[in-house]
Amino acid sequence: MSRQKTLLERRYAALGLTLIAPTVLIFSAVIVYPLFSAIYLSFYNVFTPTLEGEWVGLSNYAELLQSGKFWNALKNTLIWTIGSLSLQLIFGIGMALVLHQNIWFRSLARSLILFPYFISTVVAVLVWKWLFNDLYGILNHLLMKVGIIDFPMDFLGTMPNAMISVIMVGAWKYFPFVVIAVLARLQSIPDALYEAAKIDGAGPIARFFDITLPQLRDVLVVIVMLRAIWDFKEFDLIFLLTGGGPLNDTQTLPLLVYQEAFALNDMGMASAYAVVMMLIMLVFMIVYIRRTKDDEGS
Amino acid sequence: MAEVVFSKVQKKFGAFTAVHGLDLSIAEGEFVSLLGPSGCGKTTTLRMLAGLEFPSSGDIQIGDRVVNDLAPGQRDIAMVFQSYALYPHLTVGDNIGYPLKKRGVGKAERLAAVAKTAELLQLTELLKRKPRQLSGGQQQRVALGRALVRDPQVFLLDEPLSNLDAKLRGYMRVELVELHRRLGRTMVYVTHDQLEAMTMSDRIAVMEGGKLQQFAPPAQVYAEPANRFVASFIGTPGMTLIDGDLSQTGGVWTFNAPGLSMPVGPLTDEATAGPACLGVRPEHVSIGTGPVQGVIQVVEKTGHENIVIIGLEGGHRLTGRVPAPQSWSIGESVQLTLEAEHAHIFGAGPHGARLNRPHETAPLKTKHNPDKTKPKLQKAANE
Ligand SMILES: Nc1ncnc2c1ncn2[C@@H]1O[C@H](COP(=O)(O)OP(=O)(O)O)[C@@H](O)[C@H]1O
Ligand SMILES: [Mg+2]
Repeated sequence: MSRQKTLLERRYAALGLTLIAPTVLIFSAVIVYPLFSAIYLSFYNVFTPTLEGEWVGLSNYAELLQSGKFWNALKNTLIWTIGSLSLQLIFGIGMALVLHQNIWFRSLARSLILFPYFISTVVAVLVWKWLFNDLYGILNHLLMKVGIIDFPMDFLGTMPNAMISVIMVGAWKYFPFVVIAVLARLQSIPDALYEAAKIDGAGPIARFFDITLPQLRDVLVVIVMLRAIWDFKEFDLIFLLTGGGPLNDTQTLPLLVYQEAFALNDMGMASAYAVVMMLIMLVFMIVYIRRTKDDEGS
Repeated sequence: MAEVVFSKVQKKFGAFTAVHGLDLSIAEGEFVSLLGPSGCGKTTTLRMLAGLEFPSSGDIQIGDRVVNDLAPGQRDIAMVFQSYALYPHLTVGDNIGYPLKKRGVGKAERLAAVAKTAELLQLTELLKRKPRQLSGGQQQRVALGRALVRDPQVFLLDEPLSNLDAKLRGYMRVELVELHRRLGRTMVYVTHDQLEAMTMSDRIAVMEGGKLQQFAPPAQVYAEPANRFVASFIGTPGMTLIDGDLSQTGGVWTFNAPGLSMPVGPLTDEATAGPACLGVRPEHVSIGTGPVQGVIQVVEKTGHENIVIIGLEGGHRLTGRVPAPQSWSIGESVQLTLEAEHAHIFGAGPHGARLNRPHETAPLKTKHNPDKTKPKLQKAANE
């Protein structure tokens, strides 16, 4: 259908453009520009302090795919993401179910549960480092007192302890997000569904699997997508806790990007890593968009 | 099939009492409506019967079991919720089959039962759909199907038709009565709609303020309302209620109000001279001749009849109902007759009891004999 636009319609269109223009400009400056700049830099051999260098084509990418560093970091990233995310989901859903019950300290508990999520990562990591410390850390002290171990354990300096510790701290820091999102959804499930199920003879476990879980499905998809993306690019928590060590055993892709850019001063290589990371996350995004589309279609 | 008995059932929410000492005995296979204005405790009563709410005191009995301590799933009941409460992620077929599945009925048997129920409710075409792909009326039938599939002892329905449009509501009323006749199961039906209660029930339990006001067949509730509340609640347009005084001279009672004085029929022994209330249904007012003087204030034409509101001398307003050809113009003075043999007399106050002596000549016909367990008990007592 083609037809002459009226003056009024054109005026509205102009007004619309004027209104979204600031957003588009800011979006371009802070997202589009860095994105293209990273892709551009990844084709160069750039010395970070001067940001000067020569065109090397795809050789950064070739080197990256052949280096053990990349595959090691990718493996660590996946272990960290999957490990931490699984624990976040288990504790998050569990805690949300507990807080959904009518317990007397519910409102207090709800605010307390948010504490790890609000606390700054630097502070959280400092606290955990104290707890983990082998000389004066309370964890070692307690474990020895109870008699589980005879000597202090090295939580952050050996493997697999370091990865386990990082995953645990990550789970502790981010599970409140899952609690809040799941709790909000739980509260919107109509009571009548549970009552109908009770009358139909469903016990508490059947009610969880037949009512609660299907009702949570959509919000869980969103939580998993968002948390997977955020965990995948998590930097500060791991960097501050282990710095990627021992050796490179907890070095994830974001830490590797940082190392290339600022320790090895190779901004071109760092950009290539960043672009590859972005491509991997793009896969998540496409899966997510496909899923939500399917849901609308059916 | 089972009778349902509430004995002195009380339900408190904190300091608020939602149901006061309810005594109600529902016969086997009976269709009983709980009728009353919003907030009168109907849903609470039904939920206590379902086991979703527990009585603060008193006993509830289904069949010969006291069910106070039984979970909903153990009471052998089915319930249709006002919101339908269909499981959104299950297909229509799985929704209907769910109660059977949770009771361990095998797949083949379950599918057969679902197919049979679906056919009964004309849902066969929809079995593969999800609830959100259905219209309100279809969802309502699925909810009904989920209740019917299991053949429980008692069906509980909480305002099941209130979310349907008027036409569908009328259709479903007939369907439900038909279903009840076919299944012969005890049904307890909550509604605030007197038309539903009047047309469907064997007996109506009229409630107000958490108290049972009257429990009787629809015709009796209409013709002999137990008190002033029931009289005002049942019937559209409502009964005209006029406050005045009763006096007795030579064994004949007379009701007096400003501009109105009429003899009233035999009253019970509880009647005393003093403040009382006269009730007259619109169809028992005849306009044209008579001792009462009034002025036409409003004429509502409904097509087959006219509803006339008449102002009396004392300031009271009276509602009359006349066949359509008869009409009056606003402001016209008319003479009226209030049919004394159909006039009701209630004691003073909003819940004043009906004081007319019950009609002995024309006993009201009931479909069910609610007292059918009585003779047995009496016999047992005599032995
Ligand atoms: N869970 C509850 N907590 C407190 N008050 C309630 C609860 N359920 C019902 N009530 C109160 O009890 C009264 C009766 O409610 P209900 O049985 O739902 O009335 P209805 O006759 O409209 O179905 C109302 O005043 C309502 O506010
Ligand atoms: Mg209700």
